[in-house]
Amino acid sequence: MKRNTWKLLAVLLSLITFAAACGDSSTTSAENNDEPTTTKAPATTTTAAPTTTTEAVLPTLLIWADDTRAPVVQEFGDQFGADNGVNVEVQQVDFGSIRDQLGVAGPAGEGPDIIIGAHDWLGELATNGVVAPIDISGIADQFLPVAVNAMSYDGVTYGLPYSVENIALIRNVDLVPEPVATFAELEQIALDLKAAGTVDVPLAVQEAPGDPFHNYPMFTAAGGVVFGRNADGSYNPDDLGIDSEGGLAAGRQFSEWAKSGLISGDVNYDVMIESFSTGKAPFAITGPWATGSFADAGVNYSVDPFPTVDGGVAAPFVGVQGFMVSAFAENPLLAETFVVDYMGSEDAQVKLFEAGGRPPAHLGAIDVASSDADIQGFAAAGQNGAAMPAIPEMGAVWSAWTDAYSLIFSGEDSDAALTDAATQIRDLIAQG
Amino acid sequence: MTQHEELVRRRRPPRTGTIRAGALVRKLVLIALVNGFAMFAMQRELALGETGALVATLVATVAINAVYLSRRVVPLKYLVPGTIFMLLFIVYPVAYTVYISFTNYGTGNLLTKDQAIERLVANSLSTDAGGARFAITPLDDGDGTLSLFMIAEDGGLLLGDESGLSPLAESDVTRDENRLVSVDGRPALNLGQASQRQDELLELVVPADFGEIRVQTLKQATVAAFGLSYDEATDEIVDVTTGTRYLPSDGRYTSTTGDVLTPGFRAVVGPDNYDRVWSNSAIRDPFIRVFAWNFAFALLSVALSMALGLGIALTLHRSGLRGVKFYRSLLIIPYAVPSFLSALVWQGMLNRNFGIINRMLHLDINWLLDPWWARFSVVLVNIWLGFPYMFLVCTGALQSIPSDLMEAAQIDGASASQRFRKVTWPLLLITLAPLLIASFAFNFNNFNTVFLLTGGGPPVPGSQTPAGATDILITYTFRLAFEGGRGQDFGFAAAISVMIFFVVATISAISFRRTKAFENLA
Repeated sequence: MKRNTWKLLAVLLSLITFAAACGDSSTTSAENNDEPTTTKAPATTTTAAPTTTTEAVLPTLLIWADDTRAPVVQEFGDQFGADNGVNVEVQQVDFGSIRDQLGVAGPAGEGPDIIIGAHDWLGELATNGVVAPIDISGIADQFLPVAVNAMSYDGVTYGLPYSVENIALIRNVDLVPEPVATFAELEQIALDLKAAGTVDVPLAVQEAPGDPFHNYPMFTAAGGVVFGRNADGSYNPDDLGIDSEGGLAAGRQFSEWAKSGLISGDVNYDVMIESFSTGKAPFAITGPWATGSFADAGVNYSVDPFPTVDGGVAAPFVGVQGFMVSAFAENPLLAETFVVDYMGSEDAQVKLFEAGGRPPAHLGAIDVASSDADIQGFAAAGQNGAAMPAIPEMGAVWSAWTDAYSLIFSGEDSDAALTDAATQIRDLIAQG
Repeated sequence: MTQHEELVRRRRPPRTGTIRAGALVRKLVLIALVNGFAMFAMQRELALGETGALVATLVATVAINAVYLSRRVVPLKYLVPGTIFMLLFIVYPVAYTVYISFTNYGTGNLLTKDQAIERLVANSLSTDAGGARFAITPLDDGDGTLSLFMIAEDGGLLLGDESGLSPLAESDVTRDENRLVSVDGRPALNLGQASQRQDELLELVVPADFGEIRVQTLKQATVAAFGLSYDEATDEIVDVTTGTRYLPSDGRYTSTTGDVLTPGFRAVVGPDNYDRVWSNSAIRDPFIRVFAWNFAFALLSVALSMALGLGIALTLHRSGLRGVKFYRSLLIIPYAVPSFLSALVWQGMLNRNFGIINRMLHLDINWLLDPWWARFSVVLVNIWLGFPYMFLVCTGALQSIPSDLMEAAQIDGASASQRFRKVTWPLLLITLAPLLIASFAFNFNNFNTVFLLTGGGPPVPGSQTPAGATDILITYTFRLAFEGGRGQDFGFAAAISVMIFFVVATISAISFRRTKAFENLA
């Protein structure tokens, strides 16, 4: 009995100690947040000046960026922070998961103030209410109109554009010295090279098993379109174009290309990179993210506009990346200031381009980039392009459309494949 | 003292009291650590307003203290930690999944109701496109309020505060080189300082005769107005200009004419998610086909990897092969490599034109895109991933079979196959049956292999939803809930998960009963 009393006492003591320890830290941190000026930080207060006491609690701007952009943004953040009495912290987050993580972390109060995101996320992000509208109307005229339009969803602007990317036809200049004007010409050259044993892959387009994004330039050149447009130029999800007259015609064209061996469902990203880098493919269809590998491999390549199909012009999807402010930002005003007033300036946009090498969206930065042949090539290829649809229904479109291409590559009837895909998409859109 | 007594005395632990005290101290330290951690957790939970978690932590901590400090409830000392972890990691996730399956949680309904209302009102703040725009610097009035130093587009200097705009002269402005220091005796705030007072700035409205001026960024202000307002008394959102009223219904603010405001919020919607599975033929019909393949896939995976594992185990067990240990280590490799990686490597090897398998064997088999070959490939890879486990388990079980049983059978004249069928196999099954059932349950939901190898494909022509030839229930669910529709649909995914749970639980329960696997435990 006596021993038990001792035990109880000991435990109570330990509990009280821990409670005291925890409680102590919590009260001081609370003080810090509420009244920064009265903090009794031991050493710093002796040097007086009120600015030193606030330094301990500088507001921190948290930015999520992917691995390629994080170092660039961090540099700007450091400068901005030093000039304005702010901490800027850039966290590296995998680009593919920024969108999903923002939806989880933001509402839980643990998300960033700012993200770097792609415009086609906006449908989902805005529908979820996790991004905040920003006002860039004061500087909008300094950016490519397609980029500014892409950054708005349902008539509300949510982002500041930074780079504009689209795919193009990449040609191996050693194998094919002159640019090609039509896909028929391209097919002839590519299949001849394949028959001669010079190359393995006539046209390196990543499919595995079917890739609507990389096929879209050919799909549009052959007469197809993903959605019809509203009067204001926005996509109309009720007007699906995949099984329209033009879409079905494009499907038949794909069937022919698959049968002739020009394109194949077996080519994935790795095969595309590998075959073009080693000179085993005369042509590739890919974006600026891949040209680095080609240059490293020492291939003599040229970035060309897309050829036509029976006079039909290719219109690749354009993707716009930019800065967006979280709806659950801890420092919303500061975040918007950083994005609009600081990153939106010509100076910052030019520096962003110089540091990151991404095809810019700012007109001033485009002038600076005009000496870069690759960027010029991609810009020319994207001239007829349109921003990728951002509506949340695209989830249904991508997966059903991928299946349709996969079936076409397996030799199924293209009309049936596209009609089935369209039915699936309409069903899923209707459900939502 | 006899020698025996001497020995006994030596064996008896001396200084009993000290050891007990040492144990007591250790115990108290451990309990104090647990309590300290609990205090820390509870403090966080309190700060986040998680009342449920707070109560749970409190109950668990009190239970741990009571059990370990009392001498009366010794059995509980063994049960309590396991029970707490089971509640935490098994019961809670299952209960939460069931709860989510009755909600509309997903794209468009991610926020809580309060968050959604706040966002709806905040998003409705719209600036007048051609309206006045000012470059601003926030100023500290010194009496706890803020005002704005504003430069109009025509270059005019203004001071703005709650009472309105007043003109300033250049002489009121104090600059240090190009930096603004103060205006009219009010010190200018830098961005960091201004940001700390963002709540005041966001609420600051400067009335002007051309509209209300609000802060847009810390450097800009424009004429802006809210399009929506929230009426707390009636729980309605009202369109300020048209007067349209929106009422909450199933997680969305909806007007009488059916217009819906986004974002919506999380709400309990009852059995809607379950209804969708049964009432929508596009989802329901592939379900049966997917389920049949799912069953076959799990059964084949378990049976074939078991057969292969057992065969190899028997070979290595009996034979006087040299380097048995080396072979055994070699065979564990597929088990040691993360299945995530192996599945992707297999995907590359099975590529029709560029894969090493077709190239080396001079074949032209469409491993991944022909329906039957794809099913074959998925099972093949799954066997490759699964047999080392079976091999390990069988090796262990074989070693535990007493060799005198085998000798007795041999003396009785039993042939090798009879010995296996009548002695080895029944004895093996005692150990293996529960593992086989567990393995079946695991393979029934083997998302990795299927998703990474074929992604559920190849697609089935004429299918109404994207359900491929190798899709199992869990990949089909993933495609429906996360890839196929409008963004992510957690509620729907949870509903199908609950249904899969019941299917697997039923199959397992029946198997356990039929094999009497738990017989010797009872």
